[in-house]
Parts: sequence; structure tokens; C-alpha cells
Amino acid sequence: MGNDPANDDGDAKAPRDAVEVAPPREAVTVPSPRDAGQVMPPRQVAAVAPPRRRVLGVLVGAGSAAYAGALAWPATRFLTPAEAPRAEAAFVRVVRLDALEEAVPVRVRVRGDRRDAFTVTRELTLGSVWLRRTGNDVTALSAECPHLGCAVAVTEDRKAFGCPCHTSRFSLAGAAESGPSPRAMDPLLARVVDGWVEVAFVRYRHGSQHREVRG
Amino acid sequence: MSLGDFLDERTGYRKLTRELLDEPVHGGARWAYVWGSALTLSFVVQAVTGLLLMTAYQPSATTAWSSVMYISHELRAGWLIRGLHHYGAQAMVVLLGAHLGQTALYGAYKKPRELNWLLGLALMGLTLALALTGYLLPWDQKGYWATRVATNIAGSLPLAGAAIQRALLGGADYGHLTLTRFYALHVGLLPALLVLLLAGHVALFKRHGVTAREGAVAARTEPFYPRQLGRDLAVGLVVLAALFALTLRHHGAPLDAPADPASDYPARPEWYFLALFELLKFVPGDIEWMAAVGIPLALGGYLIALPFLDREPSRRLRPRLLLLAPLALAFVAAAALTSSSLLADAGDSGYQAARVHSDARAARAVELARRGVPPEGPLAMLAADPETRGPELFAQRCASCHRLGTLGPSADKLTAPTLDGFGTERFVLALLDDPDAPELFGKTPFKGMMVSFTRPPADPALAADFVPMPLEDRTAIAKFLAAEARGTPRPGSRGEILIKQHCTSCHRFDHNPPLDESSLGPELRGWGSLAWTTAHLANPGSGASYPQGAMAKDLEGHMPAFEEELSPAELSLLASWTLNEAARVAP
Repeated sequence: MGNDPANDDGDAKAPRDAVEVAPPREAVTVPSPRDAGQVMPPRQVAAVAPPRRRVLGVLVGAGSAAYAGALAWPATRFLTPAEAPRAEAAFVRVVRLDALEEAVPVRVRVRGDRRDAFTVTRELTLGSVWLRRTGNDVTALSAECPHLGCAVAVTEDRKAFGCPCHTSRFSLAGAAESGPSPRAMDPLLARVVDGWVEVAFVRYRHGSQHREVRG
Repeated sequence: MSLGDFLDERTGYRKLTRELLDEPVHGGARWAYVWGSALTLSFVVQAVTGLLLMTAYQPSATTAWSSVMYISHELRAGWLIRGLHHYGAQAMVVLLGAHLGQTALYGAYKKPRELNWLLGLALMGLTLALALTGYLLPWDQKGYWATRVATNIAGSLPLAGAAIQRALLGGADYGHLTLTRFYALHVGLLPALLVLLLAGHVALFKRHGVTAREGAVAARTEPFYPRQLGRDLAVGLVVLAALFALTLRHHGAPLDAPADPASDYPARPEWYFLALFELLKFVPGDIEWMAAVGIPLALGGYLIALPFLDREPSRRLRPRLLLLAPLALAFVAAAALTSSSLLADAGDSGYQAARVHSDARAARAVELARRGVPPEGPLAMLAADPETRGPELFAQRCASCHRLGTLGPSADKLTAPTLDGFGTERFVLALLDDPDAPELFGKTPFKGMMVSFTRPPADPALAADFVPMPLEDRTAIAKFLAAEARGTPRPGSRGEILIKQHCTSCHRFDHNPPLDESSLGPELRGWGSLAWTTAHLANPGSGASYPQGAMAKDLEGHMPAFEEELSPAELSLLASWTLNEAARVAP
């Protein structure tokens, strides 16, 4: 509150703060009709001496700041969620190995339990991955384009992966070949257990060169 | 040119600030004038915390409770935000009372301030409406049942009652649309009206100024800043500190179990409506609305009329005492009714027990929900929880005859075996020793059907040949049956051999003898296991546990079949809980 009201009052012959000389309680008595609602001219008395006024001003400022801070602090915490503890991605069964043809990319859905805030949904489709079989091994690539997260598909000539949004192109091994994608397609851990292909499904942040797990 | 000058030249904010700060306070700064500002500051707390809660709250019958649980228990500082909002609402009611009381005592409603008095009353109505609508939003037992009562009162109004109730509920029943309607009122319409009327209230207040206390009138006048503003702020800070203290003390706001329309719940409104609640106990149902709606309306009408009844320009208190008396009377009556309601509940053991039950259910619901709520909502979550549903089903279906732990009839009213320890070795040993003991078959139609293996029969002819079974053999049988009950059978053990030698003349074992035989003894293979018990609950005479004859109608007091009343999931849940509980409370 940096404004000093004494400075701009047109009629302030005597600055208001200086009027107060008597002890504040018995301050100047202004003869007045029993208040019947007239607006009082505001410049009759000031009850507070300047030094005291300054101290009170500081107190009022500090009090206001404390009030605002007491609300702002919990608000900030509330609106900035804690980072979720990063759980080790579990392997999920996706398809039988027999169902995959040698070297042909196949897109499969990953099903699992999903937690969204307080709701836990069982056996939901979480996303999809591209699988490619080489003998008894399988490689898995995330079907999310590392650029901005669109779903990557196999191109018409079936010789590469392509993103339908911003035309990034990747080799069948996932290497970035052209387009805006900042990195190669994201490989996922895959293994074969009892004739079933299992994939550890994780999501990575989009748009950066580095591969960083999305928490 | 500083930034301040730049802005001032374009907005004139300095003049505005000065006008606000230099607002004349007639008669000098007083603590008595703080209530309006304190209320406004509290409303700011409600607006800020309310907006924050809106970022996480989801108004639907399947998600509201879970999202409030999530705010209170999972989101950072969520308990704090919700606690401040919860206690802030109550603080506003208290401050309203103080503001109204001060205004009435000082005669500040008199000419020319009548309209501002009316605006203040409208603001009070809005605040109470906000409290009432906010109470439902967690969709917990407390809010649900209180709202049911409140909307049923609205529904009992003559003429438009039913239509009003339907409009409030968004249909014939309580559900998604009730929540969204109350939500729209609570976060949209009511706060918007409140801000609008508050602006008018403050503008009129600025026009007429503060009403000095009679006697001190205009003796001295000082600007609002700094002393009055300082006092207003100090009280605001004290109120905020109290909100923090209450929130810390209770670690946030209470959250009852999820709203369950099928439950028995001891509904109570928030404390500031307790007087009305208590009043309804004394009013016959058909004229209930006269008390529940008529009395508040009459009181409101009197408050509205007050400045027009009291036209004496003097604001001295004495001549006005008669006019203020009805308000004082209403206040005293409300206080008396409130304490009477609190005392009644404190002395009502039934209410206390229901409260304890509800609190336990609430705690369990939160415990389960923190692990995740199914998409069907928290009621489905509780219904699938043996610890919650088990005792409820047992109390409803089993406890009128069977005793288990603290559930069931007193010893003299038992008509079926006590199940404490059912399925354990000790239980079997007790059966072999004295099957007709009062806590076993002694008070059932099966009394006298099973023989003791330690005591000679009453018939002297039979008693002569009686040889007690050695403890070793009884223990082997008990061990075998207890293992069957636990689901870890020991086929081929000595106990099994002994059973085949000594028990199968009456009992069935591996479905032998066939069902048409006259024997009434239960199947001993798998006795007390989950499958055996579930089948027994479904239909005790199906042969899976007891043969049909054992449950014949002429055996009075036989156990009923529950397969038509309970779903397979409920049967298995009840069996599983009963067996676990029986093992837990085993003597």
C-alpha cells in the first residue's frame, strides 16, 4: 500500500495523518446529526498517528500475505500430482507363437488391468504392439509413434512402418528413416513362454530424442 | 514513469484503492464491525477450495464417493483442501449468525438500510442453500440420507411439492441427475447469485456507511484503513487458523460409507439443521411441511418485515426489545432443540451402535477403495467384500438361529448350533463327546440323533455293551475332519479309516449310502469345507451336506435353503466369511 492519501487530496490543507494530536480515543468531536444515513464527508478525522499507521500498514500487509499464502500453498500442492512410483512393467501374454508368420509384422492388442485415479478396470485393452517373429524369437515395437503418439501402421508396400499423422517412416526393424520422428520406434521386451508370446508393455514420452518411461 | 504510474494513468486504480481504504468508519474502528468482512473472506476460502475440489470431483452416482475418497486419501493436500472447505462452510454459518445478530442489535436494518438488510437475508438463504447442496455431493451415507429427508420434505409441500421434488432429483429417484443438479446449483447458480448480491450488499453498505453504535454515533470517524481493515483481517486470520486447526485435528473432513439406498442408516443433518430435524419428531407426518418449511419461512418473513415494523429512527436497544424478542426466542428454541437432539442421540444406545457400524463400514470402504474401485462403483466393491458383506448376510440370514462370535441370539434362544470354532479339531472333539450339548445339537431337531463316543447311552441294555472311544482315535478323526474343512484333506489317514469303521452306519461318506436310505447324518467327505458349506447354505437337504430327510418339514426348526434368496456369489461369500470367522473366534 504505497499510496499516501495526504498527497493527492485536493483540499488537504492539513494532511489527514497529521491532524491527530489528541489521544485517539477522545479524538476530535464532529457535531453530527444522529446518523440518519447521510454519507459522511470522509475527511474529518484520522485516528492514527503516522508511525503507528506505518506499523499497522506493515501488519496488514503481512496479514494479507499470510492469508493468501495459507491458501496458495495447499493449492499448489494439490494441483501438482506426485510422480507415481514406477512399477516394473510386468510381462503380459499377447498371442501364441504359432500364430505369427516368420518376419511378417503383426499388430496385437495388449490387455491388462488399468488404474485411472480411483477406478481399476480389469482386462482392458491397454494398447497395441507390433510383433515380428524370427525363428523362435519375437521382437516387439510399441505401436505409438515416438513423435507425437499416433498409431504406427505398416505401409502399403509392407516394407516399412509409417505414421499416418506426420508421415514419419521407419524400417521394419524400427529405425527412423524419414519424417519428423526424433527417434526410432520404441522396442519393448518380449519373450516366449510355453508357446505364448509375452510382452512387457510400457509407454514412453513422445517428442524427444531420449527414451523416457511415461510415469 | 513507473509501472504504477503507467497503470494509474490508464485505470485510475489509485483513486479507487484510496476510496476503498478511506471509507469512513463512523464512530471509529470497532471489533463489532468485522463480521461482514470475515464472511466475505470465508467465502473467498470456499471459492478457492471449491474450485480446487472441482478439479478432482466427479459428480455421478458411481464415481462421486470414490473421487471424494481419492481427494481425501490419495491426492496431495487433498485432505487439507477438503477439510478447509468442509469447516469453512460451517464457519460461514456461524459468522452469518454473528453478522445478523450484530446488525439486529445495532439496529442497522433501520431506514435507510432496509434494502441492504433484505439483501443480507437473501445472502443468508443462498449460503444455507450452498450448505444443503454441498452436503450431498460426496454421495456418502450422511449426505445421501440427509438429502433424502430434505427433498422428501420439499415433496410433501401442498400443490407443487411433487413437481419440486422431481425437479430437484432430476427424475423419480436419486441418482446421477440428482448429483449433477445439486452440483450445478452448488458450483454454478448459487455462487453466481451470491457474488451478484454480495456486490450489491457491499455497494449499498458503501453508500450508507457503517451503523455506529447508538450513543457513540459519529463521535469520531476514521478511515477504514488501517485500523478497521486490520481488525477485519485479524478476525479473518483467526477464522482461517480455526479452519486449519479443525482440519488438522480431524485430518480433513469426514467421509461416510458410500450411499446405499438399501441400508439402515441413522440419518442426521449437519448441526445447523439439527433443530429443524428435532422439531420433526414432534410433528405428525401429514403436516410436517408446516414445521419444516413453515417455521423457517415464518422466521424469514419476520426478519424481512423487521425494518418495516420497527420505524422508530432511534437505534437505542431498549424500545426495540419487544421487536427483537421473537428472534431471541427463535434462537433459544433452536439451541434447546439442538441440544435436545444431541442429548437424545448421546443417550440412545441403538443410535450409538448404528453409528459404530456405519463408521466401521466407512473405514472398510476407504481401505478397499484405496486399492481401486471397480467401474461399477463403490457399492459393488463393498458387496464383493467378504469382510463387509459376510457379517451383513450372516446377520440377515443366519443369526436368528445360529450364534457366531458376537452375532446371533443369546444362549437361551439358540435353536441351532453355535458356529464358533466350526470346522476345527476342538469342534469335532466336542461333537464326539457330547453332541447334544446346548451349543451343539441340544436345542435343535437333531437332538438325540447322534451318539456320544465317550458317554454310555441312556438305555441300560445298550449301556452295558458301551465302550468309550479312546482319545487317540477321536483325535485322529478330529484331525482328519478339520483337514477336510480347511481344504487340505489327508486321504488314507487313520482318521479316514476310523470314520469308515465307526461313523458310516449313520453318516454318508463319499455319497454312500445312496440318498434314499433313512440315515440323516451329513456327508463327511469335505465336511466344513468351502464347497460343502456353500452347498449346505444353498440347500441343506440336497445330499451334498445333509440328506433330504434331515431337512424334512416335519423336523420343526430345520434349516431353510437359501439358493433362491442369495446369488451363487453371495452364497460362496457367506460360506467363506462364516468359515473364516468361525476359525477366528474359535474358543
